[in-house]
Amino acid sequence: MELPVAIILLFIVVIIAMLALYLIATIAELIKINAGLDQVLVKVGEIATKTAPVNGVLDAVNTTLVAGRNLLEGLFVQKAGNDAAGLVESAFPGEGPRFLQRVGRTGTVVPIGEDYPRGAAILNSLLGVAPAPAAPAPVAAASGPSPSVRQGGRITLRGSSAPSSASSVAEPPSEPGRLSARGSRPWER
Amino acid sequence: MTILWVMVIVLGVTIPVLAMLLKGVLGAARSITPTVGAISGVAAAASTDLDAVIALVTTQNYISQVVAGLANYGGSLAVALPDA
Repeated sequence: MELPVAIILLFIVVIIAMLALYLIATIAELIKINAGLDQVLVKVGEIATKTAPVNGVLDAVNTTLVAGRNLLEGLFVQKAGNDAAGLVESAFPGEGPRFLQRVGRTGTVVPIGEDYPRGAAILNSLLGVAPAPAAPAPVAAASGPSPSVRQGGRITLRGSSAPSSASSVAEPPSEPGRLSARGSRPWER
Repeated sequence: MTILWVMVIVLGVTIPVLAMLLKGVLGAARSITPTVGAISGVAAAASTDLDAVIALVTTQNYISQVVAGLANYGGSLAVALPDA
């Protein structure tokens, strides 16, 4: 056998051995990948199964919430009339125009202000109490209402002073007939 | 005879090139394996996290009850309060 032929045969053997070695190792890795993807497929199937009802549930929840919101806004418009948007604007600045848009009305939103005397009067009349004083003294507030005379409350939409301490945030109403809408918007927490 | 030596040279160049290509393919395949394992772990964790999704049905029922309560409350207010 001539030398070049022997070298060629040797090279061919080396190439075949190298191909076999690398391809077998690659096949082994691909088998591992296949097994791993099988596991992933099972888990992805579980995820798809578990998330399948989410859209329907969320649609139903949103429909229910929108119906409730429309109901309460309709009631609000019915009871507050032209003051409704102003009340919303006073309690939640910036919400008045959106409220008007939702209830299908047009016009300029004029904030009611800090107090809503009409609402307080209605509430006090329902509770059968006298109207509240314009500015209750702190001493009187600390001593509490007289047992013989029930004092009425005020409907305060916003505080007159800037919030200065943590105690001014979202205090629960302590007077009869007093409603407070101060504080952050619940849906933005 | 010359052509045999040419073939020897060609094969001699082919072997390292082929080795380099095969090594690249094997390296790529080996790099996929841990990624697939990581994806499997994340998918398992995500599947476990989604066990609470079934509670949305309960939430839906609660929300329906709350809105029904609000509707009743609004109905009472509609009677109790005068219209504007």
